[in-house]
Amino acid sequence: MDLVDSYVKAVAKALPEAQREDIVGELSEDIRSEMEDRQKELGRPLTEEEQEGLLRQRGNPLLLAARYRQDQRSVALGRQIIGPVLFPFYIKVLSFNLGLTFLVVAIIFTALAISGQKVGFNDIVSTCVLQLFIQLTVVTLIFALVERHLTKHPERWHVKGMGGKFRLDLNIERDIQLRIGHNIREVSRFESVSIIVACAVALGWMTGVQNFPVLILGPAAAFLKLAPIWYQIYFPIAALTALEIVRASINLVRPDWVRFRAYYGVFVQAAGLVIVYFLIKAGSWVEAANSGASGAVNLARTVEIINQVFLYALVGTAVFSGVMTLIRVVRLVRQPHGHNGSASVGARAKEGN
Amino acid sequence: MTPGTDNHELFENLRLELRRGSLVLAVLAALRKEHYGYTLRKTLSERGMAIDEGTLYPLLRRLESHGLLVSEWREEDKRNKRFYKLSADGKEMLKQLLTEWQGINSSLNGML
Repeated sequence: MDLVDSYVKAVAKALPEAQREDIVGELSEDIRSEMEDRQKELGRPLTEEEQEGLLRQRGNPLLLAARYRQDQRSVALGRQIIGPVLFPFYIKVLSFNLGLTFLVVAIIFTALAISGQKVGFNDIVSTCVLQLFIQLTVVTLIFALVERHLTKHPERWHVKGMGGKFRLDLNIERDIQLRIGHNIREVSRFESVSIIVACAVALGWMTGVQNFPVLILGPAAAFLKLAPIWYQIYFPIAALTALEIVRASINLVRPDWVRFRAYYGVFVQAAGLVIVYFLIKAGSWVEAANSGASGAVNLARTVEIINQVFLYALVGTAVFSGVMTLIRVVRLVRQPHGHNGSASVGARAKEGN
Repeated sequence: MTPGTDNHELFENLRLELRRGSLVLAVLAALRKEHYGYTLRKTLSERGMAIDEGTLYPLLRRLESHGLLVSEWREEDKRNKRFYKLSADGKEMLKQLLTEWQGINSSLNGML
């Protein structure tokens, strides 16, 4: 893949799907025409540095793509905190998180209703509002930080490191895809910051849930409690999360320290699988808070339904996690020796990503 | 931020605002003759109306969606290029806009 393809691909990722092919074709043609013109002027082919220079003049691919978007919505609190460039990503992440959260809430309340527990309208509303507040705050905070970075450093997309390797600091989607798909040789600082923030929030939330199960169970915490397994696996999960914070902090300072990243990925994936195994083995994930209370039969039914849903979710997670571990191991085995952080400059330039 | 920087930023914003309306007119006028994106950009630049591709292509799309331009993909020099030209509505619009422009121009000349 050449530099033009890399640049156009970076723009394409942030374009609306319906127009993507058309815009990419036209943009690619425009860049190549400009390069041809420049070559004619110079009477020789352009060097890689000259090509990079022409592409750099066109600006951050993410910002360029945003200008093609007709949707120019943003989030503002006095001043703009999430601009039109990141807004579509913000909405996607928020919708996914809220969808997942409300699904869990819906399952809990449905289980309560089916088993004959009293479910008040106010309980449903207060739980939904609490979850909405948490998700909105966390996701907005993270995106506001990214927006601040983008506004302060619009030029931070350009060639980084050696070998003319293009890296787009703010291309979330591509970073994630590359992280899964390839053994990338430099970690974007944006990715590291996002991981640190996300892991810190997750760690705080997990610790909070230990003491205040209402954070996850909502009003159902009056009848239900978390099973002992959650308290047993808290430390392994917290340790893995803390380890990821340490790893991301190291990569924040040294984005090029990726020598053992593939091995680390397999380790984290496998450790996650072990945790899921112990969770499944436990067989029960929520319990009745007070089994002697009136309506104990209904409560037992509620617990049964919720545990059944947990079982399906955990088995699904185990299958997904197992497949991902396998993919990582296969990639690691197939990877040629020496194909790590010290790969040759030529190989990097050829890869172009 | 110094007052000098503030003034410079303000000037830039006002200058861009002033150019924005003129660019539509320039693009419509240039597309009386068929062009593909890059040659259109070059033509405008040579005539003193330089425009970057991040502004030009979204503008072309907008004008086309309003029915003022028509476009077609065609092969030229072994590469696929998208050629634009004014539609019948575009010609009519250009005529009206030019009349308006000349009116504004003569009013401003009288004031300045």
